[in-house]
Amino acid sequence: MARAAVVGAGMTKFGVHEQPLQELFGEAAFAALDDAGVGSRDLDALYFGNAMSGQAENETHLGPRMASHIGAAGLEVQRFEDACATSANAFKNAVQAVDAGVHDVVLVGGVERCTPETGKDTPEMTRIFASASHRQYEQPTGLTFPGVFALLTKRHMHEYGTTEEQLAEVAVKNHAHGRLNPRAHFGKETTVEEVLEGPVVADPFRLMDCCPFSDGASAVVVVNPEYAESFDDTVGVTGLGHATDIVPVADKVEPTATQSARDAAAQAYEQAGIEADDADFAEVHDCFTGAEVLATEALGLFEDGEGGPAAAAGKTALSGETPVNPSGGLKAKGHPIGATGTAQIVELTEQLRGEAGDRQVEDPSVGLAHNLGGDTGTTLVTVMEETA
Amino acid sequence: MSVQTYLEEGTLTNETWTRALTDGTLLGQECADCGHVTAAPKAACVRCGSRDTETVELPTTGTVYTVTTVHVAPVPFDGEGPYDVALVDAGDARLMAHVGEAVEIGDEVELDGAVEHEKGAGALFSPVDD
Repeated sequence: MARAAVVGAGMTKFGVHEQPLQELFGEAAFAALDDAGVGSRDLDALYFGNAMSGQAENETHLGPRMASHIGAAGLEVQRFEDACATSANAFKNAVQAVDAGVHDVVLVGGVERCTPETGKDTPEMTRIFASASHRQYEQPTGLTFPGVFALLTKRHMHEYGTTEEQLAEVAVKNHAHGRLNPRAHFGKETTVEEVLEGPVVADPFRLMDCCPFSDGASAVVVVNPEYAESFDDTVGVTGLGHATDIVPVADKVEPTATQSARDAAAQAYEQAGIEADDADFAEVHDCFTGAEVLATEALGLFEDGEGGPAAAAGKTALSGETPVNPSGGLKAKGHPIGATGTAQIVELTEQLRGEAGDRQVEDPSVGLAHNLGGDTGTTLVTVMEETA
Repeated sequence: MSVQTYLEEGTLTNETWTRALTDGTLLGQECADCGHVTAAPKAACVRCGSRDTETVELPTTGTVYTVTTVHVAPVPFDGEGPYDVALVDAGDARLMAHVGEAVEIGDEVELDGAVEHEKGAGALFSPVDD
């Protein structure tokens, strides 16, 4: 069955921005609308993601403000919050609404500011990020978000022998990719030695194992299949899986499995009629280097325990058998929470159109996006394919 | 207060769980249908959905399932220096805990009080002396 298609994509550079939320969102929204050749008044709805600007900037009820800023006042707006999976969930709901015939043309996007431009320093922002962990049974222990993924990664190292050097290779690879992406937060390469000499954030993660606090916005235009025929450069959405897992971490059946990712991937692959091996590349949620290792295993790109060795062997590099995070990923491209999910969709769109410039994956036809929220409590997996 | 008093209070709430913890008792819930034991009380079993759960006392000694040393801490833990947070297997339950000294996976630990902040109380474990 033909499903919704992406016909326009845009994003701001990720990094440190002084502009307020609506100005960042407006830049990404107009880039996506202009790419599609769609006007603000042509839209049927906005599906909008923002995770935590209520806490970080004392800004809520952002939907109508964003619509008003881009000349679409009066539009139906849905706002989503699912921690780091915020705008992938906005995208899923937009695609389902278009598939169901509720809307013909929608804008999907997200925006977030996480840097000290918000007025919040690192301990305060670390606390805000930790608000996605269990308020009663996790936060009182002093758990942080790097801490959650550090716990999973430490156990993975214990069970499979994953090494700190293999984790560092993930950072080195994603920085190398990010250097080729003009919109990435970080534009410089790093080395295994440099990663391993960095200050510890939560062991085994050192500073360079962690994605940065970033500001930015991203947006895509989604249309129904009939409408898509009048556009050039459409990319089809063929699979969209969405699963949650037990919260808190302590009650998860096997924490290192990141079960929500496995469940979401199974749904998405079945809808698209593909196997993991059919993916030509993947954008995965590498909030930490260990998270990328877990993600590549959960998606079935590698056997359990093989994610670290695969990264170290160059299999996930741009020149490897399955490039992972050609954009630089969260690690180098940056991670403005509510903008990350749709930024992955922007990358899939550009890669599948063959418009990714220096970071272009060689002639891809199938791309995956893996956007994870919280303590792996939410994951969305999206399959997109080039339109024949 | 005796353990029996907590157990007789009916459905285990966060308030009861926290009060017991600060008294040195670790409470959980055991599912009558699937047997899952949780240390984080819920309205129904998190594994099978059954509402037939019973409040149980958990052992106060356990084994470290995984651990991390947090160096970059959130408010209100910033300024305290690096500390360990671990998932501890206590009997058939697993719980998130603050650990007073550096530990490794597989180490034996025992309940050593509670970490109390404005955010509530978390279990504090320490290594078992050999």
